[in-house]
Amino acid sequence: MKLRSKGMLLAALGLLCASQTWAANRGGTLVFARQVDSQFLDPTQTAQNADIWISLNLYDTLLLASADGKSTEPGLALATKVSDDGKSITFTMRPGIKFADGSPIAVSDVKWSLDRARVKETGGEFAFLLSSIASVETKGEDSVIVQMKHRDPTILQALATFNSGIMPEKLFMAAPGDTMLAKAKAFAEHPIGSGPFVMTSWKRNAEMVMTRNPYYWKPAADGKPLPYLDSVKFLIIPDDATRMLKLKAGEVDITEFVPYSRVTELKADPKLNMVLFPAAQVNYFALNTRPTLKDGTKNPLNDVRVRQALNYATDKEAIIQVVSYGAGTPQKSFMPMSTPLAFGEGPLYPYDVAKAKKLLADAGFASGFEITCMALAGSADDAAKLSALQQMWSQVGVKLKIEQLEAATRLARYNAADFQMRTSLWTNDINDPNEITSIIAYYPTRQSARTGWQDKRVDELFEISQEELNPEKRAAQYREIQQRYAEAAPIIFAMEVPYPVAMQKKVKDFVQIPLGNNIFIDTYLDK
Amino acid sequence: MLALLARRVLHIAATVVLVALLIFALMHFLPGDPVLMLLGDRASDESIARMRHEMGLDRTMLEQFWEFLWHMATFRFGDSVTMRVPVVSLIKERLPVTIMLTSMAMVLAVLIAAPLAFIAALRQGGWADAVIRVISQVSLSMPVFYIGLVLLITLAAGLRLFPVGGIGDGFFENLYYLFLPSLTLALSLSAILLRNLRESLIDVLHADYVGFATAKGLARRTVLTRHVLRNACISTVTLLGLHVGSLIGGAVITESVFAIPGVGRLMIDSIYSRDYAVVQSLTMVIAILVSLVFLVFDAVLAMLDPRVSA
Repeated sequence: MKLRSKGMLLAALGLLCASQTWAANRGGTLVFARQVDSQFLDPTQTAQNADIWISLNLYDTLLLASADGKSTEPGLALATKVSDDGKSITFTMRPGIKFADGSPIAVSDVKWSLDRARVKETGGEFAFLLSSIASVETKGEDSVIVQMKHRDPTILQALATFNSGIMPEKLFMAAPGDTMLAKAKAFAEHPIGSGPFVMTSWKRNAEMVMTRNPYYWKPAADGKPLPYLDSVKFLIIPDDATRMLKLKAGEVDITEFVPYSRVTELKADPKLNMVLFPAAQVNYFALNTRPTLKDGTKNPLNDVRVRQALNYATDKEAIIQVVSYGAGTPQKSFMPMSTPLAFGEGPLYPYDVAKAKKLLADAGFASGFEITCMALAGSADDAAKLSALQQMWSQVGVKLKIEQLEAATRLARYNAADFQMRTSLWTNDINDPNEITSIIAYYPTRQSARTGWQDKRVDELFEISQEELNPEKRAAQYREIQQRYAEAAPIIFAMEVPYPVAMQKKVKDFVQIPLGNNIFIDTYLDK
Repeated sequence: MLALLARRVLHIAATVVLVALLIFALMHFLPGDPVLMLLGDRASDESIARMRHEMGLDRTMLEQFWEFLWHMATFRFGDSVTMRVPVVSLIKERLPVTIMLTSMAMVLAVLIAAPLAFIAALRQGGWADAVIRVISQVSLSMPVFYIGLVLLITLAAGLRLFPVGGIGDGFFENLYYLFLPSLTLALSLSAILLRNLRESLIDVLHADYVGFATAKGLARRTVLTRHVLRNACISTVTLLGLHVGSLIGGAVITESVFAIPGVGRLMIDSIYSRDYAVVQSLTMVIAILVSLVFLVFDAVLAMLDPRVSA
């Protein structure tokens, strides 16, 4: 009896909590401090995180990624039907949906948006995600049929990704300009989209305001339309210290990119909520695996034993402590573990100096060698990582030289494969392993992210997996790719780190998903 | 006077052309590629090549330089590569902010330096002089970003007397928001001015003509304003004029620390992203502006000291 009443009490409490979430406060402006400003708010014409990460607020997609990223949910499309052979997908559109200016979202807008996004000439860097589409057709008022060139296991996730955002064809084409790119430029100045918010003012590198789209289709739990907030105001504050001060002074509600060194301090602040959002992000060191370097000298990193030795000689836990103050976890695969089909049995290459020494001796480098790593000038993270590495590798006789370069020079050298080693960071843009694999492990794209490493079997597996609809088989293909990559070690595996975001306690239900996108649709400000 | 002005205008024209040449060469010989910065390290070689062509970067350096000169001469600044908006609109939006910031800094620097220099000079060797000299030494030796952060932490985040960064809306809010950053910029400049003005005040105070004026029985105030201040401030005004350039340099840092959307921050962001159009146009605009300020200072000096126009 006693137990039962306790249970009932708990149930009642649960109900109370549930009803509390319904009682989300409406209205208000959320002030969000960003490190860098967006550059171009066209869903297809950008590869910058600062654009991608807010794109879904402005442009809605046919499907939405589920919270765990492993499946999709209905977005602008109410129902999705994939044919048995996987070569045709029929979407039934939600009735009555509108763009932010109140004009209806027609099936022709959907066709036009997807057609633009899927071809290289107009679809930008991410067109490859939709390259398996043969054509997009419309039927009646509410059906869109996507015909596939071949079966594509990732197509549904791709249609939930930012570059598949649905745009108003008429408004876009009415924008001034002779070319599609010129029109995109003009349109993106004051974009009208299908997402929960619409951009209403933008002073470059200073501030941007998004206000709620009154025509957005999604209702909240209380039946009234989302989003809760009247507007989101982004302030661009590149200086880390200033951004944190602004938060502490209560002048901003949320700040992104909290320096890891400040996380503990902000956690202790009773007025703030310091959150580490899980991120589909890996931090590693890319190696040039070519037999000779650009200047013609012989490159010890061509020998797999040397690369493995350096991996063993790297104390990942120490790097995690030094750079992320304990917030990170060691890499188990080249891809982040939150990626679907990620495979990793445990941290790769656990710290083992003796093993490292033996491998180096086997490779004929018992007395060590010298290696040069490019670092981003002024980056405290790079400096910390590399000086830790310098110290660790000196134990096995390897002398690490650090070359400080500013971003543009570093990128140009990297792109020309004129480097031996560099610090690298990868963030997934889609809930599928194909993006990261195509760039980091698949040679034909860009010589396996410029490392020059090639494994024909990996290339072959990747090509097969791109058409593999059987989930088990595809998982097995990806398992083999990841195992082979780990074994060959074209990189120094380091760590996964979360997104550190600090906010005032009154900010509720803001999320940064593992792909980095900032989602404000359910966010509200508590009274 | 007119001849002087004409000569100066010619100087300015020559300077601007030279600056154009220099900045073009510097930007283009700097390693790094705007297309790569724009497309990031995931771009395919194919789209890199396409973008280079669209931006005209695959043409010869000479062709690009002629085009740049021609555009500058016809006041066509082009579009920002990274922000994809006309450079003119960017500069229009941001230049007033930086002009306001640096003007406030100059005014503040003079307001701080002048009275203190007077006190120090008149009480030369006394304790007030010593204190003022120590303070000026300290503010001179502190880097701008450090002063900025200290002011932010104490006066803004700590005492909440001022907002932490930003510029606010409307003229009066701008004044209020820009007070701390302009104070930051002003401090080291005021120390330089203070030391210079103090020295020249002391020199002039000991000059024969001042002794003579006093002996003639002129009131102390008349001696100080008419003879001492006028003669002593000639070198200080020169110094102030010369420091306009470094104020703009300081604005780059101050604008970053205080999150102020001015041309200083625009410049540094654009250099990092190799946004040729913005850097080149902005440099030209700043070069012309600084030259014009020099011109104004020359005119003021000519009025203060008739020997200058000779």
